[in-house]
Amino acid sequence: MSDFGGMEDLLQDFLQEAHDLLSDVDNKLVDLEKMPDDRGLLNDIFRGFHTVKGGAGFLNASELVTLCHLTENLFDRLRNGELELTPELMDIIMAATKGVRDMFGELGQMVQPQPADPAVIAGLHSALTGEAPQPVAPAPPPVTPAPAPAAAAEIAASGPDWSLLHTAVTGVEPKTAPQPQPVPVAPSAEMRVAEPTVTPAPAIAGQPVGQPAASPFGRRATDRPGGQPTAARRVEERTRENTIRVDTSRLDQVLNLSGEIGLTKNRLTSLRADILAGKNDSETLHALDQAVSQLDLLVSDLQNSVMKTRMQPIGRLFQKYPRIARDLARQLGKDVELVLAGEDTEVDKTMIEDLADPLIHLIRNAVDHGVEMPLDRQAAGKPQKSLVRLEARQEGDHIVLIIADDGKGMSAERIRAKAIEKGLISEEEANTLDERQSLNLIFLPGFSTKAQISDVSGRGVGMDVVKTNIQKLNGSIEIRSEPGKGSVFIISLPLTLAILPVLLVLLGEQPFALPLSLVREILPIEQNRIQEVGGKETLVVRGEVLPVIPLSRLLGWGSDHCPEYGVFMQTAERSFILGVDSFAGRDDAVIKSLEDFRPKGVAGVTTLSNGQIVLILDMKELLSDLGQHSEFGSGVRALDFA
Amino acid sequence: MADPKMKFLVVDDFSTMRRIVRNLLKELGYTNVDEAEDGVIALQKLQSGGFEFVVTDWNMPNMDGLTLLQTIRATPHLKHLPVLMITAEAKKENIIAAAQAGASGYIVKPFTAGTLSEKLTKIFEKMGKA
Repeated sequence: MSDFGGMEDLLQDFLQEAHDLLSDVDNKLVDLEKMPDDRGLLNDIFRGFHTVKGGAGFLNASELVTLCHLTENLFDRLRNGELELTPELMDIIMAATKGVRDMFGELGQMVQPQPADPAVIAGLHSALTGEAPQPVAPAPPPVTPAPAPAAAAEIAASGPDWSLLHTAVTGVEPKTAPQPQPVPVAPSAEMRVAEPTVTPAPAIAGQPVGQPAASPFGRRATDRPGGQPTAARRVEERTRENTIRVDTSRLDQVLNLSGEIGLTKNRLTSLRADILAGKNDSETLHALDQAVSQLDLLVSDLQNSVMKTRMQPIGRLFQKYPRIARDLARQLGKDVELVLAGEDTEVDKTMIEDLADPLIHLIRNAVDHGVEMPLDRQAAGKPQKSLVRLEARQEGDHIVLIIADDGKGMSAERIRAKAIEKGLISEEEANTLDERQSLNLIFLPGFSTKAQISDVSGRGVGMDVVKTNIQKLNGSIEIRSEPGKGSVFIISLPLTLAILPVLLVLLGEQPFALPLSLVREILPIEQNRIQEVGGKETLVVRGEVLPVIPLSRLLGWGSDHCPEYGVFMQTAERSFILGVDSFAGRDDAVIKSLEDFRPKGVAGVTTLSNGQIVLILDMKELLSDLGQHSEFGSGVRALDFA
Repeated sequence: MADPKMKFLVVDDFSTMRRIVRNLLKELGYTNVDEAEDGVIALQKLQSGGFEFVVTDWNMPNMDGLTLLQTIRATPHLKHLPVLMITAEAKKENIIAAAQAGASGYIVKPFTAGTLSEKLTKIFEKMGKA
């Protein structure tokens, strides 16, 4: 099964660290395009490949070693000014970086990576040989004894342990080391100075190494979506990281708190013994009260601290995107800069993973559909370079993510027309939609603005999937757009998924929990203020006409009496008033899912302080039963209530 | 084998690599190991004393292994410390540079506990002679 018997732990560590390293390299590559002569950047990138190579060697991942080695050599020559960074060279480098990433994917599957795309290897070789002012060493593989004696002489003169050096020099030609460990080569009369830099690998011996420029290779490697590396990539995306990096100070805090809790528990145990022995004077009871309060405080602190260990800076996710935006823009012939902000905003780890795809989609969307071609921008009096901003920030108990472009914006009119054309809504429905609702039409399944799905517009995933994914995280997404100025997508997410603040409402004696994030306000329902509009009960709240939906009806309890209180609720696509009998307060619910049993409209259960079990309602699902069953999804059903 | 309590400092910017070296040393019976992320941090730790052996990577940010080695050799109370250089390169210029700067040994990645043990033994032997 695994090629890494006994090294799985090491492999995990390596992959995690190497992934970060590679993302960093990716970003530096994007910067490098702007500042091709920056030695600091060249050095850092060189070191990135070098470090990955070193680690890969210990994992015997010889193909990864080879690829990193060639790329590293290329950067060595770039930083020494022996080569110049051309766009063609950049393409090769980008393809090589992608190759490295693909190999990480294979390693993540516990298999040794396949050889890199021969075109990439050949591209690297020809960049190193063909365009080089002067080769570092003779090109043909046959051993050249010439440099060896010189080296020997110099080394011998400087006096260190000769055989030590000899072993070091001879044992390490990466290409000849597919076997687990570098076998120390027995000292021989002739020293072989390995120079893999210029030694064409056997695998590509038949390749036209001498081709004029390397561009065809690089270009092809970047543009071709199919092929094995891509498959490996997908595999990689499916696997989730199962380790997490935690700041040690946070762990220390958890440790501290659990120690404190242990002490308090001891105190309680001794108090219990006292009380069981019949001691129940006021002093004992006071001590009990104190211990319980303390425990209460400590447990909630512990919960917070544990939750914090799951929080990761979203920058780890963001750092992948400048490269994606850059590649896409280049393919489309656009000039786009992705500006990041708020990278240290901390988000729950699971959420970071689930956000990866929606964000990629929105960024691709902004680059592909949002911003214009440079010439069109010029004609519109805008700077040729377009800006796409990706920002994260915490607002209260929510995380807000913003993807904004300064492109052509979206016209509500055009979107309505398209939705009608695609048969998603009727013309009458279209006429009743306001600006915001019209923009929201792009989230309907089947509303993909481009007929041809290239590898550019993603994996055939529409905006509807983006929305569904965000909603799965209990989040919402909103669009603002101004024609000619650009579009903004605003995603709002709860801080964590594990704890859900809820409002407890009562129907008769039975409590139910509603997600507090949907609750706007609570108001009494006065019967005489209820108006019938189109056969539906409505209530006017500050000029807004809102439908009144009794919870009993949603649950199918068919009670006749009128609800006394209303909960003004706002989901992503509609606002309404939920009629209930009374309230039992608010609570931070720890959601427990119901295994193998999922009644419609129930998101999970939680336990109250008195031990009572309460259902947490899934409003979206409950509401989907209401009104006409339309296939259009929420955007249109909102019309019923608007 | 030398004193198993001997205190090592492993210097590498790649934590996976530090862990590898630490594990290999453990395999050889040396469990008293501290780590540093680059030459600058390594020097700070060395200044505070107590270390008897340095195993350092070459290529690191802030201060690379060669500079670290040179600094150690130029510091009176540190210059006796054995320093084993680790690199991914077997370029002769590198080896010469390391030798000239006074490296006690030079080891090329990837290596096994066996190779490491061999290098350490050689260094201990030389120190014994000196």
